[in-house]
Amino acid sequence: MEKVVTNPAIVVEELCVEFSGKTVLENVSLTILPAELHVIIGPSGSGKSTLLRAINRLNEFFPNCRTSGLVRIRLDGHLVDIYARDAPPLPELRRRVAMVFQTPAVLPFSIEKNMTMPLKVTLGLRGGELRERMEWALRQVGLWDEVEARLLDEATTLSGGQQQRLCLARALALGPQVLLVDEPTASLDFRATETIEQLLVDLKDRYTIIAVSHSLSQARRLADRLWVLREGRVMQQMNRRQLQDAALFQEIIDNIF
Amino acid sequence: MKKIADRCLVGFAWLSAGMVTLAAVMLVGFLLRRGLASIDGSLFFGETHWLDAVSGRAPVFEGIWPALMGTLYLVLVSSFVSIPVGIASGVYLAEYASKRVRASLGCAVDLLAGTPSIVMGLFGFALILLLRRTLFPQAGTSLALAALCIALLVLPYVIRTTQTALQAIPVHLRILGPVCGLSGLQAIVHILLPVASRGILSGVILAMGRAAEDTAVILLTGVVAQAGMPRGLWERFEALPFRIYYLAAEHQTRRQLDQGFATSLVLLLLTSTLFLTAFMLQRRFEKRWKKW
Amino acid sequence: MPFGRPCGLRLRSKLERCIERILLIATAIAAVAIISILLLLAYFCLPLFTSGELGEVFSRRWQPFAGSYGILPMCAGSFAISLLALFLAFPGAVAICFFVHSLAPAPAAGLLKTLVHFMTGIPTVIYGFVSVFLLVPLMRDWLSAGTGFTLLTAAITLSLLILPTIVLVFQARLERIDPTLTLASAALGFTPIEQVRHVLIPASAQGLLVAAILGFGRAIGDTLISLMLAGNAAQFPVSLFVSIRTLTAHIALVLATDSQSMAYRSVFAAGLVLFLLMGMINLLIQRIGRADNEKTYEKDR
Repeated sequence: MEKVVTNPAIVVEELCVEFSGKTVLENVSLTILPAELHVIIGPSGSGKSTLLRAINRLNEFFPNCRTSGLVRIRLDGHLVDIYARDAPPLPELRRRVAMVFQTPAVLPFSIEKNMTMPLKVTLGLRGGELRERMEWALRQVGLWDEVEARLLDEATTLSGGQQQRLCLARALALGPQVLLVDEPTASLDFRATETIEQLLVDLKDRYTIIAVSHSLSQARRLADRLWVLREGRVMQQMNRRQLQDAALFQEIIDNIF
Repeated sequence: MKKIADRCLVGFAWLSAGMVTLAAVMLVGFLLRRGLASIDGSLFFGETHWLDAVSGRAPVFEGIWPALMGTLYLVLVSSFVSIPVGIASGVYLAEYASKRVRASLGCAVDLLAGTPSIVMGLFGFALILLLRRTLFPQAGTSLALAALCIALLVLPYVIRTTQTALQAIPVHLRILGPVCGLSGLQAIVHILLPVASRGILSGVILAMGRAAEDTAVILLTGVVAQAGMPRGLWERFEALPFRIYYLAAEHQTRRQLDQGFATSLVLLLLTSTLFLTAFMLQRRFEKRWKKW
Repeated sequence: MPFGRPCGLRLRSKLERCIERILLIATAIAAVAIISILLLLAYFCLPLFTSGELGEVFSRRWQPFAGSYGILPMCAGSFAISLLALFLAFPGAVAICFFVHSLAPAPAAGLLKTLVHFMTGIPTVIYGFVSVFLLVPLMRDWLSAGTGFTLLTAAITLSLLILPTIVLVFQARLERIDPTLTLASAALGFTPIEQVRHVLIPASAQGLLVAAILGFGRAIGDTLISLMLAGNAAQFPVSLFVSIRTLTAHIALVLATDSQSMAYRSVFAAGLVLFLLMGMINLLIQRIGRADNEKTYEKDR
């Protein structure tokens, strides 16, 4: 029944991650297709965030982490083993595989500086080009009209939803190919959640998106493909059709939790 | 019985608080009463016209202007050494050092912080003795030597405040560097240092305050009672704290004594402004992270 | 939207390594400084060991004109004045901490805190200067203590100098243990003073020790107050009203006046003693601090 995968965006094979000798992910294998919205759910402590962070090697930021297995990402048309010796340098990898967190993590600077600083520092953009890129990214997340007049305000003065969109815009501006989204609406109210969800749906044609979600209903609304994680293992994979069948969905979920 | 003991304790706490307040008020009050009247142009410039004194056209004999300038030069020159070195060390200890390196170099910093200032002065003095015996027979105590020793004395303050300010940055901000594709150094320069800047600044100001007030170091490394305006790095100089110390023992006229009190007030104003600024900055810096 | 590739990544990482090395060198300066201080002091003390004058320096009499260069009176003076200052300042400092922490009404606590911070900013020489004209006459007239330049005079002033140090160190400790404990004890219906007696004091015993040691270290290391107020007579502190000389003041005095080689050597010996003493204090604090850290670490797990 499954479509034969011909051009996967990300291939994860037998991924294991340990922190200080404690196994968090065990033999996780999955294939991520382009132009689909992938959602990972699972109880807390099931390794969702760790899986996400394995894809841009952010786990290495934390002490005593050991990763084994294979993660290959399609960058500029080729599948690249990101843990290999000749992999692209970490800063570049993380720019191509962007990440947005649960709590909006704006830098304690102005809105404008939040957007421009990474662009200036990593891509060396200046002047008109810089401004153009900032405006483009802010428009992508529908924030431009709201902040155009107050670009020099502290970013922390924005509302939670606006901050989250700013983080998304900051990530998009760097020109990623993959977006990793870690429970992006967990700290937001209903309206802001709706905006972010719509945004993800709009963006999925152009970016490979993997989202971790804390809510089953959100997962059902968003996912083209769903993975259920438990105790560091993939328990179940579901496609759009299975997700739409409410009875089947309920049965599967009941079996797992 | 217990109640009485409790009462006594409470009473003692109030008494201690009162005594310390009284002591501080008496100290400042006494200074103000004896010194305030003498703070005027002639305190700073003596008989010399202030324009001539400031522009250096005429020497100042009676006033404390040369001492004030000496202290200023001392603070500036020592900061020139201690601030870059201190911040660099703080960054290294917080961001680069492995656990073992951090512990052993941190121990050296603690030892340096614990070194009494007179020992630091003695070090400078011994350095000159050594230089005289070996490479430079004409070496002598000077502003440069004093500034170097003072810089070593205040270095730990800058290192420690920089290190703590950086280490206090919460993980969710720290992780943004890598997430935005910044390399380690870029993240330090563009995210961590700006975020920690207020804490670091408080350390820098604290260090300047310590440099301005210290007497024991300069006592052995080149301060003298009558040097006039500081003329160069390799010359001896005057300084406010030394002038106060000198006047306490060597004042000959009532006028000189009054000048001592007034000089104390000036120095107190200088250092307490620095220290309170540092304290405020520090407190605001700490408050900032309590929100998260 | 076209996305440019960053240029010179390889170069940049070379630059990063270079800068890391520069930072390491800067950090090493502190270590080099501390080692050179030790070596230089030791170097100038070396003649004492080789020529057997060591016993001479560590003898009980300082009479340079009669050829005795003993610094033991100064060692005793340093200890006496520091212990006395600690004895005077410590109970008050601890009481102030508890006062600020749980007994005082909020405005008084805030005021007192600012006052303590202000006191740390008062230059040592000003404490000395004011005492010379305020405390010394009092001692002379009221207690008829000779000239007024006595051990007690200096110790009182010194206690005022080290009090803020003790308060700040202990206050920081107190704040660290605080949140759960005060809440728990308040829930048990303790009054503030009962909290202090039965919860805070036992819980902060180690903090008390650290604060006392650091206060003592600050007192030992101070030069100006003993130099200006203690009278500087090189004799043993046999009573509160004799004039004494500390190690620190000894260094300052001898270097200002004498130029005989033996007197010089006694100065370097005094410097080395001070240096080693502070090193030991440091080690002690670190030992205590490490034990303390391990304990909290266990708790976290």
